[in-house]
Amino acid sequence: MKRLVAISWRSIWRNRRRTIITVVSISLALALSVFFIAFADGMYAKMVDNAVRMQAGHLTIENVEYLDAPAIDLTVSDTGDLRKRVEELPGVERTKALVMGQGVAKSGAGAVGVAVMGVEPAIEAVSSPLAQKLIAGSYLHQGDVRKVIVGAELARRLKLGNKSEARKMASFFDPLLSQFEVKIDSLVEDLRVRLAIGKKLVVSTNNIAGELVEELVRVEGVFETGAVEVDAYVIQLPIDFCRKLYGMSARQSTQIGVLVKNADERDDVMKQVRSLVHDPRATVVPWEKVLPDLAAYIEVDGGSNLIFQGIFIFLILFIIFNTVLMSVLERKREFAVLLAIGTPPARLKWQILIESSFVGLMGCFFGLGIGGGCAYLVQVYGIDISGLYSEGMSVSGFAVDTILHARLTPLLLVVMGSIVFGATLLISLYPMGQIKRIRLADVLRG
Amino acid sequence: MQAIVKLQSVTKDYGKGNVVVHALRGVDLEIEKGSFVAVAGPSGSGKSTLLNIISGLDRASSGSVEVDGRDVTTLSRGQLSRLRLMRIGFVFQSYNLLPVLTAYENAEYVLMMQGVPAKERRERVMKLLAEVGLKGMEHRFPRELSGGQQQRVAIARAIASEPALVLADEPTANVDSKTATALLDLMARLNEEKNVTFLFSTHDRNVMQRAGRLIVLTDGAISQNGEADIHCEHE
Repeated sequence: MKRLVAISWRSIWRNRRRTIITVVSISLALALSVFFIAFADGMYAKMVDNAVRMQAGHLTIENVEYLDAPAIDLTVSDTGDLRKRVEELPGVERTKALVMGQGVAKSGAGAVGVAVMGVEPAIEAVSSPLAQKLIAGSYLHQGDVRKVIVGAELARRLKLGNKSEARKMASFFDPLLSQFEVKIDSLVEDLRVRLAIGKKLVVSTNNIAGELVEELVRVEGVFETGAVEVDAYVIQLPIDFCRKLYGMSARQSTQIGVLVKNADERDDVMKQVRSLVHDPRATVVPWEKVLPDLAAYIEVDGGSNLIFQGIFIFLILFIIFNTVLMSVLERKREFAVLLAIGTPPARLKWQILIESSFVGLMGCFFGLGIGGGCAYLVQVYGIDISGLYSEGMSVSGFAVDTILHARLTPLLLVVMGSIVFGATLLISLYPMGQIKRIRLADVLRG
Repeated sequence: MQAIVKLQSVTKDYGKGNVVVHALRGVDLEIEKGSFVAVAGPSGSGKSTLLNIISGLDRASSGSVEVDGRDVTTLSRGQLSRLRLMRIGFVFQSYNLLPVLTAYENAEYVLMMQGVPAKERRERVMKLLAEVGLKGMEHRFPRELSGGQQQRVAIARAIASEPALVLADEPTANVDSKTATALLDLMARLNEEKNVTFLFSTHDRNVMQRAGRLIVLTDGAISQNGEADIHCEHE
């Protein structure tokens, strides 16, 4: 066996250039695949994390009928210290209560339909990405009443800031604007949004009894996520005030969100949470059901990404196939001599397999090293793609950070390495089969 | 004397229909153990075909072929491979050494296939390489050896396992006359000292003269079979 390995190793270096080209091809293909899969995984993970933290968690406890027809009167109650018991589970980071409803936000300039989110300020402040995206004012505080957080686009549409005041401020910077290629009108609009703090607006909605109710609130903060669907549509109110608006009791919520520590362990945590929920009117659903658009996007985009990677690897496997087959066919006479002197065909097949293994292993080693190394760097430091998306990036109504981080896992390296290495061995079968077809007398005579 | 090769009414046809080539036409032949036999004849006379059929590299169209007491026409591919490994040595016209192996490793190859222990292999191969005049060149690769030296390695590989029969297809065709003489001296010495049976094809009249027995093939049939000197007189 030792000699067979030595023969195989020396044989692959007989055509040094071809072997190097093949190894480089495998390495690059594998490196690109690993990098892009890790990059996409990282992006999806971040999108999901942002979305579930802003919305109803990795897992959501809600009324069994809420998913089919979300309505403000389909609530769950935090009875019997359910949240406390859920939070005691080792895989749970925290829970959050939400009141989600629809309404209309009105200012002197007009009215806009909005998604009303009643949130727990203390929890959202540390867990929701929305709280980190404030461009003016401050986030809600525990005990706040009649305060609201609005998106920048909503503030623009409701013309909340004072335009003349904004223009006055902008004129102060006028001499500098041409230097920075900024138009005064866009600066005015920008400043106007920031001047929305403290402005009043009226939130109008139907309470759980179906009655029309209205409350006056003041803008406490303005956020800008980059996703117009969020920035022009979502407003956040303190949950207690929101409950009062909708006529709910103190422990009622439309959803109780559960944030898990490790998203990969979500299913295990879901089983545990389900065992704690005894109310027959409540159910525990994963985020994919609460946010189906996002789940569908990830599934479709991830699927097409995998297909692309598959085609890429498939093409590279043809290069390997060509290399192995050529190396066998051009050594037909050599193999014929070895068979003539009594070498068992199986031994020559092993030799081809070992040669392919060497090429595959080297390709995997360098490919995983380069791809994994690059993915690791992007995992740690991230890539800033804000230059490509100056207006911000959003998917299915959820803002995506323009600094993207890859998500490299040992499993990805093992799976990708195994696929490429396994495929390399698999495509050696045909060249191996050529050994059987060598007609010794004809080849040796030729 | 005991026959190591016995052919009876052996024919070999190539092609089909109207384009059949009769490479061998009813060859009857016996080669005794320990003999030093040359097969001569013009190109296309069937020399290589005869050697191929004896070694089992090719199948006879009809007739029986017995090598070392076994009818090779009835053996499977695997059995033929085993027979060649254990009982037959080969020397090819163009040496056909494995380029990635050193002279030592090439000579050792068949012994390794046979499962001879490493220590014994080493002793036998080192001794053999010294006998064929390659002492000190054990670690050279074929590309670092001259044609004659490569053929010496090939001969060492062929006889390392002490086979019953060594088949050599024009072993001196690719070397100069001086080297050819040296190679023949070597083969003749091994034949005498180790009693190895040599059956080789050749075009070279000098080589024919060195053979103990000369078989001449003409159009696939044996036209002469006897002492080399007798034939040369006819030549």
